[in-house]
This record gives sequence, structure tokens and C-alpha cells, in this order.
Amino acid sequence: MWLNRFSRFLAFATFLLIIAGGLVTSTGSGLSVPDWPLSYGQFMPPMIGGIRFEHSHRLIAGSVGIMTLVLMLWLFRAEKRVWLRRLGIVAFGGVVFQAILGGITVIFLLPTFVSVFHACLAQTFFCLIVAIALFTSQLWTDAMPVESEQASQLRRLLLTTTALIYLQLILGAIVRHTAGRGVGLHVLMAFVVFIRIVLSVSSVMKLPGHPLQTPALFWGFLAIIQIFLGLGALAMRIMLGESMRQGTGAVFFATAHQATGALILATGVYLTLLSFRLFKEPASQRGISLKPVKECCVQD
Amino acid sequence: MKKDHLIAVFMIILSTVLISSAYAATVTGKVAFEGTAPAPESLAMDADPNCQMMHPDGVNMDDVVVNSNGTLKNVFIYVKEGLGNQNFEAPKDPVVFDQKGCQYHPRILGVQVNQPFEIVNSDSTLHNVHALPGKSAQFNVGMPIQGMKIRKTFTTPEVMVKIKCEVHPWMNAYVGVLNHPFFSVSGDDGNFQIKNLPPGQYVLEAWHEKYGAVTQPVTIAAADETKDIAFSFKAS
Repeated sequence: MWLNRFSRFLAFATFLLIIAGGLVTSTGSGLSVPDWPLSYGQFMPPMIGGIRFEHSHRLIAGSVGIMTLVLMLWLFRAEKRVWLRRLGIVAFGGVVFQAILGGITVIFLLPTFVSVFHACLAQTFFCLIVAIALFTSQLWTDAMPVESEQASQLRRLLLTTTALIYLQLILGAIVRHTAGRGVGLHVLMAFVVFIRIVLSVSSVMKLPGHPLQTPALFWGFLAIIQIFLGLGALAMRIMLGESMRQGTGAVFFATAHQATGALILATGVYLTLLSFRLFKEPASQRGISLKPVKECCVQD
Repeated sequence: MKKDHLIAVFMIILSTVLISSAYAATVTGKVAFEGTAPAPESLAMDADPNCQMMHPDGVNMDDVVVNSNGTLKNVFIYVKEGLGNQNFEAPKDPVVFDQKGCQYHPRILGVQVNQPFEIVNSDSTLHNVHALPGKSAQFNVGMPIQGMKIRKTFTTPEVMVKIKCEVHPWMNAYVGVLNHPFFSVSGDDGNFQIKNLPPGQYVLEAWHEKYGAVTQPVTIAAADETKDIAFSFKAS
């Protein structure tokens, strides 16, 4: 139980880290600290200007790194499922690699590919921690899969929608780190993703009283908010001159849009995993034939 | 022997004078501004209290400065065409670029290829200097200590190279990197002057960070000619 609580807290901290990273990009502070891993040769530089955002991001990242190490060790100590222990190692390796990528972006002056990869890995890591939090939950460990004829269809729908969301996030990262390249495709995909989420939510709502329903409704709510945040971010970009693009309004919309995207992806991963855990196809669909029992040895 | 020495000295002096007079033409002029000057906008320096303290009465943005005589300051004027493949050795003296009052001084400047570009932090707060050339190597250096100096060079001509502070987002400057010394920046009176130009036919360009660039042909017929030209930018 405490392991699950710690995992959930780490997921929350990772979400804060994603917001902090978003603020770095939105405020143009990525190069405000030109050295790494120290900041102006210190552990704690003056927190002025862009340094406030960049160094705060590094501090939160360091905390998340330490917590991920604790999670990995805790899983090793307390968890019997070998695959979950390995997932802990993957998570720790991921956060270390992410830190190195962060250093590379600073030292090599924000090469586009590295910046985009750093952004996408952040989202992936967040989903991984959310998944670990789910795997250590009672909902997962105590689940009794229920037969459903819609299981296969629902899983496919959730999985492909989540994959589309991930693709959309990659596009979003490209837009952010290339001064707007690919924004047309990103906007088009937004509507495709939105429709897919609506279809997914309506499929889940057909399962009355099911534990998937609340997160599914949350997913739909996030998708609606995200459309408006995306339009706001786009409007700010089009309307404002370059000097104003780091003003409060523009920073808010861009960062909120990016953070909500992370939540949408994580919720999709959560729902998809649960759909595999809570449902099973009926025996007939699984290829198990129920042969009639032979009447045997019935004595007249 | 003494006579030979005297003749040699005389020849050296004569050739120096002749060479100098071969490059004695001057192009002068003014950069006019047409239309209504934009209203001054205050610079928000609240991201760094040290910067705010340096300007207790506030400070305005300096991207567009229209002088009281209706001319435009901070226009970079340079010889764009006409020098052919002539080589001009880069001066050994550095061009000094200062960070003072959380602003760059000068905001618009020129430097020759491989000429030392000396960046100074005169402020008691930290800055960093990020140069964004497209053709030379970028650099991003922290300058946390008051009085510290760093020297850099640009290796390829480029008009203009943007320089910004990644700590203080309002700090921007532009550097014209040229392989010759024939450039100037319009001052508080809108005037500019380009000296020691050889005779020839040239195209001069005037560049402003907000209003773009305009060109003008100039012909220098005589070695000691003074040519007066004018550029004009319109309010957008």
C-alpha cells in the first residue's frame, strides 16, 4: 500500500516536472544556464530571469531522479513480480538518460533533435511511472477479469487512440522546438484525436457502473479543455510579435497545453492497461471450444 | 650613405601619404525617419531586482529610437557591394561590447572578421551572452562576475548576428560582421560616416532591426571625395 502511495506521489512529482520543463521552453529559458550539471559553477545560482525556470526544472528533476531510485530499490525489496522489478530498473535508467539529454541540450545549444527527444522521453517516463503506480494498486492486484464480448474491440480502440495521442505529442514537441514547423498537421491531428477520444469514452460508458467510467469521463473532459488550450496557444502565436511570445498569456497557454497533453496521454495509457486487466474475451472468442460432456457409462 | 637614408625615408613617407590618400574618400549622411515615432514602451525588468534597482525611474525599450531631429538612431550602414575581392586585415584592437544597466552597449555595432570581440560585464548581476550567427560558430557564455571580460571572434561575414541574454529576455543586440572596415552606425543625431573608401562604384545598405534594409548606389570618383547621401525609413 505504501509502495503504491509512493508511486502515485512520484507520478504527481513527475507531472510537476513536466510543467517545469514546459515553462523552460515557453519562457525561452533553456539556455539561461550555460553550464551543466552545475549552474554557473554552483549548486544554487541567483534565481533571476530565466535562471528561475531552468534551475527550478533541474532541482525538480533531481528530486524525481532520487525518488525513482528509491522506487526501483523498493520494488526490488518488496515486489514479487519480476517483470515489475525490471520496470523499476527501466524507469531509473530512463530518468538518468533524460538527465543526460537535458545536459546535452544545454551544452550543444538546444539541437532540435535532442530537444524534441528530451520532450518525448519526458512524456514516456511519466506514462511509465503512472503505469507502475497502477500495477502496484489494489485495483490491479485484486482485479478479477470479467468476460466481455466487447473486450477485444474496446482494447483495440483504447490502444490505437493512445498511440495516436503519443504521435500527436511528438508533433507538438516538433512544433514547440522548431518555431512552428508542422503546426498545420498538429492541428489536423488534434481533431482526429479528439474524435477518437469521444468514441472511446462513449464505448466505455456503455459498460454500466464499470471502474473505467470515471477515468474515461476525465479523459473526455481533458480532451475538451485541450482543444481550447491549443487554440489559445495558436492564437497567441499568430497574434503576438516575437517579443511578446514570452508574455504571461502566451506562456500560460503553451505550457498548459503541453501539460494537459501529458495528462491525456497518461490517462490513455491507464485506461488501455486497465482494459487488458479487467476484461477478458468470452471463452468462445478465445478459441476454447466447450464440447458437450460425453455420456459415459450410464447403466440402464 | 646619409643621403641614401634620407631618400629612403622620404620615399617611405611619400608612399604612405599616397596610399593614405588613395583611401581618403568619405561617405557621410543622415538616416531620416518618416511618420509618427512609436510611443516609448517601458522595459519590464522585474525578472531581476538588480536590474530594476539600476533604473529607479524606469527605462524605455531601445529597439526603435527616433531622435529629436526626426532621424533614426541605431541604423547599421555598410558597403554591401563594390569592394570585389579586396582583403582588409582585421584590426588587433577589440570592439568592446558592454553589459551595463542590464542593457547592451552598443545595441548595434560592427566588427571585422577575426577582429577580437570583447564582451564585458559591467553590472553587479550575472548575464549570459548568446550569439546566434548563422555562418560562424554560436556561443553561449555565462558572465556571473562584475568586471569579467571574454573575447570571441566571428569567422564569417554576416549581416546581422543577433546577440541576446538568456537570463534577461529584453536584452538584445545586433552585430554586423564584415570582412572590411567600411561601416558605421547612425548616432543620436542620425548621422553616419564611412571613411577611407577607395574610389569605385558601391552599393551601400542601411539596416534597421525593425524597419528592414534599404540600399543605395554610391560612386566615389576621386580619392579624396566626400559624398553625402541620405537614407529614409518609414514608420510601419
